[in-house]
Amino acid sequence: MSEAMVQFGGRAPAHPVGGGIMRRLNLGTAVAGGLILGYVAWLISHHFLAGADDPMVQNQVVTITLAGWAFGFMIGIGAMRGPICWLLGRDQSHEDEMFAAGKDQGVGRYFRFTTDHKVVGIQYLVLTMVLLGIGGTLAMMIRTDLVTPNSGFLGPQTYNAVVGLHGLTMIIATIIMVTGPFGNFIVPIMIGARDMAFPRLNALSFWLLVAFAPVLYSAAFLGGIPTGWTGYAPLSDQGPPGMDSYLMAIIIFAVSTAIAGANITATILTMRARGMTWNRTPIFVWGVLASVGLAIPAFPMFMGAMVYLGMDRTVGANFYVASGGGNPWLYENLFWLMGHPEVYVILIPAVAALMELTTVFARKPLFSYNVAVLGIVGIVGLSMMVWAHHIFTSGWAPELNGAFMLTTELISIPTGLLFFVIIGTIWRGKVWTTLPMMCTYAMLWNFIIGGVTGIYLSDVPLDYDLHGNMFVTAHFHYTLMGAGLTGAIGALMYWFPKMTGKMLHHTSALWSFWLVQIGFQVTFMGMFAVGLAGQPRRVEHYDNTFAVGNMVSTIGAYTIGLGMLLLLYAVISSWRHGPIAPANPWGGKTLEWAVPNPIPLENFEVLPVVIADPYGYGEGDFSIPHTSEPREDVVVGAQLSPAGAVEADSS
Amino acid sequence: MTNIETAVTIGDPDLHLEDPNVIGRRWRAGVALLILADAAFVATLLFAYFYLRGLNTSNAWLLHGQATAAIWVSWALAGGAVLSAVIFGQARRSIQAGNEAGFVAGALVALLVLVADTVGQVIQLTSFPFGVASSAYSSVVYTIAGANLYHLLLTIFIAIAMWNRGRLHIYSKSSNWQVRVAEMWWNWIAIAAVLTAFATSFIASPASGH
Amino acid sequence: MTSGPPIDERVGLWWRRPETRGIFLIWVVLTVALVFFSFIPARIMGPTASPTKHAVELTMTVFTLAASPVAAFVWAIAIYSLIKWRHRGVGPPTEDGPPIRGNNLATGLWMLVSSVLCVFLLIWGLAEIEAVAAPERSANALIVNVTGQQWVWTFSYPQDGNVESDQLYLPLNRPVIFHVTSEDVIHAFWVVQMGIKVDANPGETTKTSVLPDKLGVFDVRCAELCGLLHADMETNAHVVSKADFATWIQANGGHV
Repeated sequence: MSEAMVQFGGRAPAHPVGGGIMRRLNLGTAVAGGLILGYVAWLISHHFLAGADDPMVQNQVVTITLAGWAFGFMIGIGAMRGPICWLLGRDQSHEDEMFAAGKDQGVGRYFRFTTDHKVVGIQYLVLTMVLLGIGGTLAMMIRTDLVTPNSGFLGPQTYNAVVGLHGLTMIIATIIMVTGPFGNFIVPIMIGARDMAFPRLNALSFWLLVAFAPVLYSAAFLGGIPTGWTGYAPLSDQGPPGMDSYLMAIIIFAVSTAIAGANITATILTMRARGMTWNRTPIFVWGVLASVGLAIPAFPMFMGAMVYLGMDRTVGANFYVASGGGNPWLYENLFWLMGHPEVYVILIPAVAALMELTTVFARKPLFSYNVAVLGIVGIVGLSMMVWAHHIFTSGWAPELNGAFMLTTELISIPTGLLFFVIIGTIWRGKVWTTLPMMCTYAMLWNFIIGGVTGIYLSDVPLDYDLHGNMFVTAHFHYTLMGAGLTGAIGALMYWFPKMTGKMLHHTSALWSFWLVQIGFQVTFMGMFAVGLAGQPRRVEHYDNTFAVGNMVSTIGAYTIGLGMLLLLYAVISSWRHGPIAPANPWGGKTLEWAVPNPIPLENFEVLPVVIADPYGYGEGDFSIPHTSEPREDVVVGAQLSPAGAVEADSS
Repeated sequence: MTNIETAVTIGDPDLHLEDPNVIGRRWRAGVALLILADAAFVATLLFAYFYLRGLNTSNAWLLHGQATAAIWVSWALAGGAVLSAVIFGQARRSIQAGNEAGFVAGALVALLVLVADTVGQVIQLTSFPFGVASSAYSSVVYTIAGANLYHLLLTIFIAIAMWNRGRLHIYSKSSNWQVRVAEMWWNWIAIAAVLTAFATSFIASPASGH
Repeated sequence: MTSGPPIDERVGLWWRRPETRGIFLIWVVLTVALVFFSFIPARIMGPTASPTKHAVELTMTVFTLAASPVAAFVWAIAIYSLIKWRHRGVGPPTEDGPPIRGNNLATGLWMLVSSVLCVFLLIWGLAEIEAVAAPERSANALIVNVTGQQWVWTFSYPQDGNVESDQLYLPLNRPVIFHVTSEDVIHAFWVVQMGIKVDANPGETTKTSVLPDKLGVFDVRCAELCGLLHADMETNAHVVSKADFATWIQANGGHV
C-alpha cells in the first residue's frame, strides 16, 4: 500500500465495484431532495412566521424556501458525502474514485456528481448554451417590445422583469462561457495534468450552478427582478420577492465561482507538467488564470452586498436604507468592486483563447509572448482600481472622479497590447481562415469599437452625458458580446473536434457566423445612435425621435437570433452525427492536440515533460509535440486535412 | 532555437500515485485561495462598517442614546479563537514530531475551546442591547457577529474531523498535510475575529459632531 | 542594432517592402474615412443648450479623431492579411509562417504611442472637468433644489420664495446650481441637451451645475432605473429670458 493510500485511511473498499451510496445518487435524486427540503422549509417557515401579509415575512419565507431547495439539491446529488465521510475518517477507495470520475458509465456520468474534468467541461458547455439560449430569448422579447415607440408588447412590469433577468442571465453565462467549458476541459490537458487539483470541488462548483438556475428563474414567478441586473438598492429593498431569488442566486453563484476559481488557479499553479515553466505556459492558460484569479476576490464582495440586501429585506436591517443610517453608495461601491473586475473575468480568457488559436491559424509563434503576459497582468492589476468609473454620476466622491478617469484610461495601454500581440501574430503569417480564425478577425473589429467607446465613457464630463443611456448598453455589448462571446464561439469552434470528437458542420456554422456578426453590427450601431440622441437605458417606451434607430436594432437582433439558432443546429447535429475528427485537425502544438480521440479517462498514460513553448512554428519541421505513447492517430493528426477528416469518417 | 520534435519528452510512468507532499502543496495553494475569497468577504464587512460610520447618513449611524455592544466581549471571543488556533498549532507540531497522542489531545482541547467560543458568540448575538433594525451600526454589528459564528461552526466541523481522524491514526509523522491545511484555515478565522473585534471597537461616528 | 546599415537606408528598405506600401495605402484610406465619420456622433447628439454639452460634443469628436489612425492601423493590417497573406486552397497551409517572436522596436513604438495618447486623453479630460465646473463657482448662481420621487421630478427655487414646480424653468445665461436628492430610490437627473447628469440619492444631496445658453424647451429625463414607470419619469426644461423668468416666478407666488 502506497503512502497516498495511507493518507486516505488505507481501508479496503466496502463494495468490490466502488461507488457506495454515490451509485444511487444522480440528477433525479438531487431534484427530489431539493423539492422535498424546499417544501419542508416552506411549510416550517410559513407555519411559524406570523403575519403572511407582511412583505418582510414573505421575503423570509421565500429566502428560507430557496435555501432549502439549494441544500436539498446538493444533498441529493451527493455533495455532502465527501465531507461527512472525511469527518468520519472513511476515505474513498481507489474504486470509489474511479466511479466518481465516471469510469465506464456512459452518458449517465453527465447526470451525476462526476469528478472527471472532461465531464465537468461538457456539463459547463451545455449549461452555458442553455443559459445563453434563455438570455437570448429574453433579449428577443426586449427588442420586440422596443420595435415601435409604444408597442405595449410587454408592459412596464413585465418589461422591467425581463430586462433584469436578461442582464443577469447573460452576465452569468458570459462569466462561465470560457473558463467553465474550456477552462475545465482543455486547461488540465493543455498543462499536461491528469485532472484538476480538486476534482470533487470541480463537480461541486458545477452542480451549485445547476441548483442556482431554478433559484434565479423562480424570480419570474415572484414578481421578477425589476431592478436591472445591477439590483441597485434601495430599489431592490422595496422590490418584490423576486429580489430574494436574485440575492439567493447570486450567493450560490458566488460560492460556486470562488470554489471553481480556487480549483482552477491551484491546478494551474501546482499541476503544470514538468518543464512547463511560466514562459512555456500557453497564453490561454495565462488568460484563464487571470480570469479565475480575479474572480476569487471579486465575487465574495458581490456576495457581501447580497447578504446585506437579504438582511435589509428579511429582518429590516439598515445597510441601504438612508433613513436608518444606511446608504445606497455602499451598495454601488461593493457592486462595482465586483462589477468591473468581472468585465475582465469575461473578456481576458476569451481574448486569450483567440490569441492561442491565432498562432495555430497564422502558423506563427505568438508575437511577443512577454508582452502578451504583461498585457494580461497589467489589466488584472489595474482592473481592481477602476470600479468607480461606473459611478461617476452617483455623487459619492466627485473629487475622486479625476483619479478614476486616470486609472481607467491607463487600462487602455495593456488592453492595446493584446491587439498588438494579435496583429503581430497575423503579420506575414500563413493565415488559414477557418471559422475560429474568422472569430479573431471579428473580435479585432468589434473590440476596437468597444474599446474606443469605452474611452469616451472614461472621460468624466462625457460620461455625465452618456451614463445610463443606450450608448452605454451598446458599448458593453460590443465588448462582452462582440469580443467576449465572439471569442467564446471561436474557442468552441476551435476545440469542438477535441471535446466532442466530431468536426463542426462547416456550412451552417459559416452562415451562423455571418448572420450573428452582421446582425450584431446592425443592432448595436442603431443602439449607439439612439443613445447619442438621448434615449435612456431600461425604458419600456420612448420618444418618437428614437423610432428609426430602435427599429434598426430590432431587425439586427432578430438576425442575431436566427444566426444563434443556426449555430445551435450546427453544434447539435455535428455532435450527434458529424464526421469523426482526427486527433489534431488544425495542426496545433499545445498538449491537448497530442492526446488521442476519445481522450482516455486520465488523459495521459505517461505524463509529458515539456522542453519548449508550444509556438515553435517555422522553427523546425511541421510536427506536433508528442508523448511517448505509440498512438497512430497522434502522428497522423499533424498531417490531416479536412479531406482527411472525411476519410476518417468513412473508415 | 529549440527542437520542436522534442518539445515533449517521455515522463515518469509512475506518477499515477502521487506523493503526499505533492498533494499537500496543492491543497495548501487551494485553501490559501479560498481564504483569499473569504477574506474579500470579511473585507466587505469592514468596509461596510467604516463607510457607513463615516457617512453617518441621516445622522442615524447610531440612534440618539442608543445602547452599544460591550467592546470587551468581541475581544474576548477573538481571544478564544486565537487561543484555539495556538493550541491547534501546538498539536500540529506534535504530529510533525511523530507524537500522535499529543496531536489527538491538542486537537480535542482546541475543539473544546472553539465550542466554548461558539457558545459565547451565540450568547453575544442573542443579548445585544439593541435590535438588528435599530440603526446602521446595529445592522453591521449583527452581521459581523453572524459571520464570526459561521466561521466558528465551519471550523468546529474541521476540528471534529481533525480529532476523529487523529484518533483513527490517519495522520502520522510522514503524512500530515491535512493538519497543516486545517491550521491555515484555523489561523485565518482567528485573524478575522481579531480584525472585526478591532473594527467594532470604534463606535461613535467621526461625522456625528454636527 | 548598432552594426546594421544606416538608419535612412534601413527605412528605405523597409519602405520598399510590398506589405509596407499596401498596408500604408489601406491605412490612409481608412483613416480618411474615419476622420469624416468622426463628425457624425456629435451631429447625432444634436444642438447644444449649454457650454457643457458643447464641450462634451467636442470631446466626442476629438476622441474619435484621435482614435481614427489607431483603429485604422489595426484594421489595415487585418484587411491586408486577408488579401495578401491568406492561405488559399483546401486543407491546412503546407508551410509555416516566419518564426517572428517579437520586435522590440515595434513594441516600444506601440507603447510610446499608446502612452502619449493616454496622457493626451487625461490632460484633455482634466481640463474639461475644470471647464464644465465653471458655473458652480459663480457668485450669482441660481440655486434649484431638485427632488426625484417615483416617478416625478419636483423643482423648487429657494432664492425666490421656494416656488415649486414640476417643470424646470431657467433664465438664459445665468449659471444654475442644482441640489439633487430623492425621496425614495435612486433616480438620475438628466437634462439631455445641456449634457448634465447626477444621481438623486435618498439621504444625500448631490450637486451639478450648468450655464443655459439657448432659449427653448429641453428634455429632462430619469437615467437610472427607478421602478415601474421609469420610462415616464420625464419633464421639460424651459429656458426663458430673465424677464420671462421673473414673471413666471411671480405668477407662481414667489418673488425675485
